[in-house]
Amino acid sequence: MVKDPVCDMEVDPSKAFATREHMGQMFYFCSENCVNKFDKDPYQFVHLDGEHAASATTGFNPDSKLLQVELPILGLVKDGHPGGQMIRSTLEKTPGIGRVIANPIEGNIVVDYDPRKIQILDIVHAIHKTGYQVGGAQKRIGIDNIRCASCVGLIENELKTTPGVLNASINLATQEATVDYIPDQISLGQLNKAIEYWGYKTRSAVSEEPVDQQQATHEKEYQRLMKRFWVAAIISVPVLITAYPNFLPILRDWSMETLRLSWFGAALVTLPVLFWSGSDFFTGAWAALKHRAANMNTLIALGTGAAWLYSTFAILFPQIFPEGTSEPFFDVVAVVIALVVLGQALELRAKGRTSEAIKKMMGLQAKTARVIRNDIETDIPVEEVLVGDVVQVRPGEKIPVDGIIVEGSSAVDESMLTGESLPSSKKAGDEVIGATLNKTGAFKFRTTKVGKDTALAQIVKMVQDAQNSKAPIARLADTISGFFVPIVMILAVITFVIWFDFGPQPQLVYGLVTAVSVLIIACPCALGLATPMSLMVGIGKGAENGILIRSGEALQTAQVIKTVVLDKTGTITKGKPELTDIVLSLQVSMKTEELLRLAASVESVSEHPLAEAIVEGAKAKGLSLDKPDAFEAVPGYGVIAAVDGRQVVLGNLKMMNRQKVDLGELEVKSETLANEGKTPMFIAIGGKAAGIIAVADTVKEDSKEAIAVLHQMGIEVVMITGDNRRTAEAIARQVGVDRVLAEVLPEDKAHNVHLLQAEGKKVAMVGDGINDAPALAQADVGLAIGTGTDVAIEASDITLIKGSLKGVVTAIEVSRATMRNIKQNLFGAFIYNVLGVPIAMGVLFPFFGILLSPLLAGAAMAFSSVTVVSNANRLRGFRPKFSAK
Amino acid sequence: MTPIQIGVTFGGIALSLLIVWFFWLAPKGQTRVSAGTSGVQEVAITVKGGYTPDIIVVKAGQPLRMRFTRQESSSCSEMVLFPDFNQSAKLPEGQEVSVEFTPDKPGEYGFQCQMGMLRGKLIVE
Repeated sequence: MVKDPVCDMEVDPSKAFATREHMGQMFYFCSENCVNKFDKDPYQFVHLDGEHAASATTGFNPDSKLLQVELPILGLVKDGHPGGQMIRSTLEKTPGIGRVIANPIEGNIVVDYDPRKIQILDIVHAIHKTGYQVGGAQKRIGIDNIRCASCVGLIENELKTTPGVLNASINLATQEATVDYIPDQISLGQLNKAIEYWGYKTRSAVSEEPVDQQQATHEKEYQRLMKRFWVAAIISVPVLITAYPNFLPILRDWSMETLRLSWFGAALVTLPVLFWSGSDFFTGAWAALKHRAANMNTLIALGTGAAWLYSTFAILFPQIFPEGTSEPFFDVVAVVIALVVLGQALELRAKGRTSEAIKKMMGLQAKTARVIRNDIETDIPVEEVLVGDVVQVRPGEKIPVDGIIVEGSSAVDESMLTGESLPSSKKAGDEVIGATLNKTGAFKFRTTKVGKDTALAQIVKMVQDAQNSKAPIARLADTISGFFVPIVMILAVITFVIWFDFGPQPQLVYGLVTAVSVLIIACPCALGLATPMSLMVGIGKGAENGILIRSGEALQTAQVIKTVVLDKTGTITKGKPELTDIVLSLQVSMKTEELLRLAASVESVSEHPLAEAIVEGAKAKGLSLDKPDAFEAVPGYGVIAAVDGRQVVLGNLKMMNRQKVDLGELEVKSETLANEGKTPMFIAIGGKAAGIIAVADTVKEDSKEAIAVLHQMGIEVVMITGDNRRTAEAIARQVGVDRVLAEVLPEDKAHNVHLLQAEGKKVAMVGDGINDAPALAQADVGLAIGTGTDVAIEASDITLIKGSLKGVVTAIEVSRATMRNIKQNLFGAFIYNVLGVPIAMGVLFPFFGILLSPLLAGAAMAFSSVTVVSNANRLRGFRPKFSAK
Repeated sequence: MTPIQIGVTFGGIALSLLIVWFFWLAPKGQTRVSAGTSGVQEVAITVKGGYTPDIIVVKAGQPLRMRFTRQESSSCSEMVLFPDFNQSAKLPEGQEVSVEFTPDKPGEYGFQCQMGMLRGKLIVE
């Protein structure tokens, strides 16, 4: 026997009136009444069942009627205690809520609530009112064949009462449910189950991906425009024929009466063109007018509207018009609208391609992750991966999110994010970045960043923000386009008046045709599109090459850079000492490998960074190290230890003097090494000088090449460092920089950048973004060299994801190419309007008798903005000098 | 010149002046946004051929939440940009999208669609 969850009566499962499965458990009911009650709000009854305590809610106490829910709050950590306090006091005043604990460190609040009095959704709303938002995931789930509105309510309720769900709504039009939920507490599978419980099949949502969604709406809009274009185009054909009867043999013989009849026909058939194909122009113009604004829609609506009205009057009341002026021009109405709509459709197509780079990046995201939870591997959607999960990645698979390897090793292809073509080898403890490709080995990693925090998501966000920022060069175009349309309207009025007063007969027709041409040819869109379209492509192109440009302003400034200041450590050099030289004393007969092995064995227990360089160097040569005995570190001098029963002393000159070791010719050699910017260390074995091991911060392989290219581009390269002059100049000679600023204290770097700027040059500073932040901010353009996931370097204008100086070259190249493109676009758009409008006004008429037909004006206008977008698209072919592919 | 021509000339001048007055000189309605109990200044903006309201007056130093709803499919208005604040948002048709930031410095800042056909102004006091 089991208990009816509603009335608590004992029921025989085989004789139950009805059964329901909820949250993976069967329930049996005694009567229709009970099952109806249960269906209305199953959650209310389920929670009374003690066995369900552990399911999804946390900390359930079966003795209490209160449930507990843990809600992550966005930004709670950053704001600290006041936020938590505010939410707590608000919630505690809300009826149905018991204890509220705010945990600013974890960034969540724990709420005890009475599910019969308040729903989680209400709690979320209450929190939202305090200005905070409950963090959580949103997922769209497609539901097959959902048609009835009543089912919508049932499923929505089912979802809403499922623990862990914050909100749910179903859109009948798209057949999709949008569910806000806390992935900690419920999985997608459970959500699907809740929907399937009502007999519907779930599928993945069509509009899931934001990119796809935009593409889909663009496609829909394109279809809509094309439909309007075709209607207008087909109607244009007969209208054009009646407008130029002299060109067709049959029509030439038509009497005036027949022609007039055909014109009435034209007046009627152009109406749907005007008010259906061209309805956007009229509604747009009207909406703008209400805002006391005018735009392209205003111009087209005025132009075509005036043409139609005049033509209709002319054929209705030919007697009131002077002789010869009663001919209509309906062809202008139909053809211009057809052309402009076609132009808009083509522009939309071209626009879609400008954001290709970002689409590509978003497409990199893996869809699923193989997560190990409770020792079980399960494939789950990447949205549900949590921070701290352990994820298994096999060879050839994409790494789903950011994390740190805990087990295994592999080579990872990071070219999609960094532009670096060589796979980088990763072992336990190394960082892996989501969306990169695992090549050779299998490994497990613990996730550190998921969702919006992953490097990829941040890069995408940064790039999108930058793409939509303004370049200063656009300000002029913006100011102009603010005044543009009213000025064109005034010009049209002036044109009409001049032709009407001074033009040849029939003055009315000339006045009207020219005025309409002026309205139609003027194109504020080309002007407005010129900069944003190129920025979109250019910044996307940068991102493809591992260069994240923060804003249009940074992009514009980067092209005029005359001086590049490079930080030495970590920018020109690797920022980590490496073994460079081994010198043997003439007095000893031993192999260099042996010397290195002994030195490295001593250093293997030391923690000094120089020691690490020696140990790494020995390991790289495949030497096996021994454990030293009697290890002693003498701070400021060096180390002493015994290896294989021999006493080994490793240290500086002071150490050798202390141990009374005769250095002989080694002292001179060490001087030479020091002059090369290296750090030499003496080795004495058994009290006798044996040799020197030198370590140095070595130059990155491609620094020299990159600096040479910067020189070719006419850019002065300056090195800045806190290191001593000797070391600095040694490095400078190796890579070929023009000027060295050595022994600069970190806090003086910004000042030095300022001094260079005082020479009247635009200065770019390249640094690691942490120590160099003030200097990066001081420079006209600050470029931060980042590696791996730290893409969000605040002080920088440009981030180079790949830690190479080649990125500086590429950044300047991208900037120059994009700015050139923007200038072409702006020039084109300006010239088009500056030449087009006067020609339409008829300035050529007195000299050459040339007058622009409104039809040509329409064609010019329609294709001017397409041209601008297409020119911006040319940038997609940009190839940097140092191409990764 | 015939009397009709003189009439048309004066009519044209008058029309030009009307255009100047209508688009530039006439005062425009402003919408003042005040902060609710939570301290967030909130305003709902409809995007259809323009931004309604299009001139928004807010206080400096208080968080601002603008809820945009685009009610048209024309691709012109698919984004709204606040270039001075480095903020932008995609506006899917019919879906409410919030743009949130805190304007710190008083001044007049424009916001617009990608190519500047639709314009609005944020006045920070």
